[in-house]
Amino acid sequence: MARPNHIEDALIKMHSNQWFTWTDSKNKIYANLRLTEKVGVDENIVDNPVTELPTETVVNAKLKELQDAWDAANG
Amino acid sequence: MSLVKLNIARGVTGTLPTSNYVQGGITEADQWRLTTSFNGTANPIASNWERNDTTFDKIGTGMSESSGIFTFPSTGIYKVEFNINASKSSGDTMYNASKIFITTNNSDYNERALGYSFINEAGGETYSSSHCQLMIDVTDTSNIKVRFGVINQAATDFYGDTNVNKTTATFIRLGST
Repeated sequence: MARPNHIEDALIKMHSNQWFTWTDSKNKIYANLRLTEKVGVDENIVDNPVTELPTETVVNAKLKELQDAWDAANG
Repeated sequence: MSLVKLNIARGVTGTLPTSNYVQGGITEADQWRLTTSFNGTANPIASNWERNDTTFDKIGTGMSESSGIFTFPSTGIYKVEFNINASKSSGDTMYNASKIFITTNNSDYNERALGYSFINEAGGETYSSSHCQLMIDVTDTSNIKVRFGVINQAATDFYGDTNVNKTTATFIRLGST
């Protein structure tokens, strides 16, 4: 596994399912991060249970946590 | 019996209308991929699809997509393939499943293709892929549609990317209905 190096690596560890999207998927920066309106659960489309985006600070902290864990595991 | 020969060079001038001969080749081919990774299940996948735009463009009109529901551009027999890539950083999952669902009334979806894989941790981040496919007779583009789903036994990362095909749906029209 490559060392986590992008905020998407952190975002997918914060909640399950497709809770976030990008306004420009070719420019995945925090400013382009949005909540999805709907997610798929048990073969139904329902409202996204995640109603608030994490702050950029929280996302960066999560990424650092993953990087630290990776560094510890991989020397 | 006398032999009759047809001299094409002398018998044809100008452009032959396409209705006057049998055409070959694929008339519809399209490929979509998930742009964004996620963890856990997405059943169905409801967002983050894009057409593969890396050294590819659709043949024909192409599929249209809204909220994870794919609409066929014309009637016909289509082959639909769905591929997913997944990993777990620790622990096992007894299954990761890729699914293709079909509706014939533009409302109720039924599972029509299923692919399984599993992850048995191999001392770190461990990967697997799953694939399923079907052929479908699309006789009514307003009511016959497809969507895709992903489930797993234990929380797994599923990969999307806007430059590399990781979770991908492929549609090819094989012929007329």
